[in-house]
Amino acid sequence: MNALVRLAGIMVAATALSAPVLAQTTVVAPSGSTAGTYMDYMKTVYDRGTGSELLQIPIATFDKEFELTPMAAESWTQSEDGLTWTFKLRPGLVWSDGEPLTAEDFVFALQRAATSGYDFAWYWDFAGGIRGWKEVTEGTADVSTLGLKAVDDVTIEVTTVAPKPYLPSVTSLWYPVPKHKVDELGDDWALDVATIVSSGPFEIESWEKSNNSVVLTKSDTYTGPWSPLIDRLELDPTLNAPEVGLPAFLAGDADYSFLNTGQVPVATARYPDGIRKNAVFATSYISYDLDAAPFNDVNVRRAFYYAVDRAELTSTVLKDIAIPAGSILPPGYPGYNPDIAAEAVFDPERAKQFLADAGFPNGEGFPEVEIWYREEGGYNGAIVPAMAQYLQAEFKEVLGISLNIRALPGPEWMDGLRGKKNNIFIAPYEYDYLDPSNFYGIFYNGGRHGYFIPEYDEIIAKADSESDWDTRYKLYAEAEQLMIDQGLIVPLVHPVTIAVVSDQLTGDGVAPNSLGFTQLDRLGHYFFTHITKQ
Amino acid sequence: MTAHIIRRILSVAFTFIVVSIIIFLMMHSVPGGPFDANDMPVSEAVRAKMMAQWGLDQPLHVQYFNYMWGVLHLDFGVPFQSPGETVVELISRAWVPSLILGGSGVLIGAPLGILLGMAAALNRNTWIDYLASTLATLGLTIPVFVTSMLLILIFAVWLNWLPASGWPQPNRWILPIACYAAIPLATYARYTRSAVLDTLNRPFVTVLRAKGLSERRIVFQHVMRNSAIPLVTVFLPMFIGTATGSIFVEAMFRVPGLGAYFVSSIEVRDYTLQMALMLLITFMYCLAYLLSDIAYALLNPRIRVGGAE
Repeated sequence: MNALVRLAGIMVAATALSAPVLAQTTVVAPSGSTAGTYMDYMKTVYDRGTGSELLQIPIATFDKEFELTPMAAESWTQSEDGLTWTFKLRPGLVWSDGEPLTAEDFVFALQRAATSGYDFAWYWDFAGGIRGWKEVTEGTADVSTLGLKAVDDVTIEVTTVAPKPYLPSVTSLWYPVPKHKVDELGDDWALDVATIVSSGPFEIESWEKSNNSVVLTKSDTYTGPWSPLIDRLELDPTLNAPEVGLPAFLAGDADYSFLNTGQVPVATARYPDGIRKNAVFATSYISYDLDAAPFNDVNVRRAFYYAVDRAELTSTVLKDIAIPAGSILPPGYPGYNPDIAAEAVFDPERAKQFLADAGFPNGEGFPEVEIWYREEGGYNGAIVPAMAQYLQAEFKEVLGISLNIRALPGPEWMDGLRGKKNNIFIAPYEYDYLDPSNFYGIFYNGGRHGYFIPEYDEIIAKADSESDWDTRYKLYAEAEQLMIDQGLIVPLVHPVTIAVVSDQLTGDGVAPNSLGFTQLDRLGHYFFTHITKQ
Repeated sequence: MTAHIIRRILSVAFTFIVVSIIIFLMMHSVPGGPFDANDMPVSEAVRAKMMAQWGLDQPLHVQYFNYMWGVLHLDFGVPFQSPGETVVELISRAWVPSLILGGSGVLIGAPLGILLGMAAALNRNTWIDYLASTLATLGLTIPVFVTSMLLILIFAVWLNWLPASGWPQPNRWILPIACYAAIPLATYARYTRSAVLDTLNRPFVTVLRAKGLSERRIVFQHVMRNSAIPLVTVFLPMFIGTATGSIFVEAMFRVPGLGAYFVSSIEVRDYTLQMALMLLITFMYCLAYLLSDIAYALLNPRIRVGGAE
């Protein structure tokens, strides 16, 4: 009898112990890029280890309705003069090794970023406008002059060069760096799973560097908002290509997959409830070297603006993967102005007239030009090459001009753009933070394209520092009208990504938002903490 | 024979140096560098700092000699793509999956190809021959990414017998190995068929037949040995080509292997890794041809004594 009781006891205990193991939920998702050097978002953005951002807690982040949600910060206030922001951190935040997470870790993250060759350093000047940022990154001022201060363990002060009413949304890409680890190991702390510490909702279990795939687990030290509902998360960049992702999804190896155009009808027929769309906050547009012939003539640029049939483009070659773009801002993005977007019509007669006004009636005498685009994967890889060919045919037909196409690797394309080595480009841009200043900033004072339009710069500077939203909205519309009148760019399309999601995956993360879009891993902090798996 | 081998080793060393110079110059003549702007401009100060950190601010010839001096000590530097380890560590880590899958592919595909080729040659112009030729042609002409897709579709999606892709569980190895085996199988089937037919038509076989030897002895003892030379020639280069990983197969089956590094090191201007991979391949091909030469000599005494046919 005694033995029986003991046996029963052991069995109960064993069941109790094994229960959490049985209940472990693992989600396998396509995410990240196959190249990853450091598991540290504040060291490298473009070559970061997959999931770097999920390992750390940002100051704030966006939920699926694009509402800014405080994360590490509990609250923030702006000073009277609009130049200083004070962020109050939540008490009790800790690193996964038990060390307290303080304001100093956030300040240190940016001080290090400004001085150590951070590949995203431009963001904190362009978007953040932090006082002294440019001078420090260029090596002409000391790091102590930066407008950043840890007032005490839970208070951060940020001073900007001009009032930045949207600074809190910029902080969605501000993650802490464990100063105690960097003091001990230098940058190498973020190279080895054994020394990586986290402050976010997930911890790292393993990292396969050959393809930058990771296994993350739910953090048991995380005290911030949005605790994960799943136990393990496998993020695998090799699943990103729909050609690889969909077969893995069909075989049950992945919980969702992105779809290419050919796969959309098949997947929609088979999983009508599993299809999710996301209008990426991104725009593909034509830009020029404004100083070089023939595009130094505004009439030529305006001819191009009216020569594109965006409706045909997005209903034929880019069916399901893009929508027409009438402005640099995508629909649904703050500041989007439908009236401005409506100006981008296909008007072949007007286009021809502009070209004739420029001295090239029916394209006669127009030099051969070559449009440069960047070779890349992801949604741009699916859109841009096809679009380039479409434009080639379109410009021939409407304007009677010959457009050659050249694909270049990223750095060469960027070098060509910056160095003005060519006169016309297809440029894609995806938002970094949710404010119109993000998109307008890429043409501000040189910016990404080497555009220097004093009139435009003046409007943007005013709009960026204006605290009244309605006034800002009007100013940005004014700036965009100026872009149209001067033909600075030709907005072409906004990409759309389509994915198929397993019916085992449930929760708010996979439910579309009020615009009907599902961001999936594009809003990683929200998505991966708001899904469950049955 | 020894003099021949010494000559070959010297020529290998010479090739190695010439290739290293060419690769180095080509690599640096490609516009752009490892720390160039991606999406938005990188400040010149930031870029210069990174370049200096990796010694890329020095004159090219100094960089070359520094690198090659390291190579002599088996120090190939640190890959820009993976700063936490040395190039040697990276290659030895990433090569394992490629070697297992690609190597097994050749080791399985080649003997099957030889059998198929022999069956075709010995049954010339029968259905066996036609079937073998069809298989061989398909194997050589269908691109590997199509083969991979078909294998995944049939065995993972429809039949659900095997996982579609991934690493490291051995049941995930089967489909990529099958995929890798297709090319050696097809190549060997074709080579073997023509080599065996060629040998069968030679006068000494007629003599052997006239002497009354059994067909089995003629084929296995004489024809096979005499048909082996072209097969030996292709084996090692094929093994090296396959066992260093194919970017297509590895991408389709999500194998964390070496294949992708051949492309990514060029794309991101990862100079140290690019040089190391090219030198590795050069070295292996040189070695392969050296070994093939020796194997020739063992198989064919006329080569051993330096005579011509």
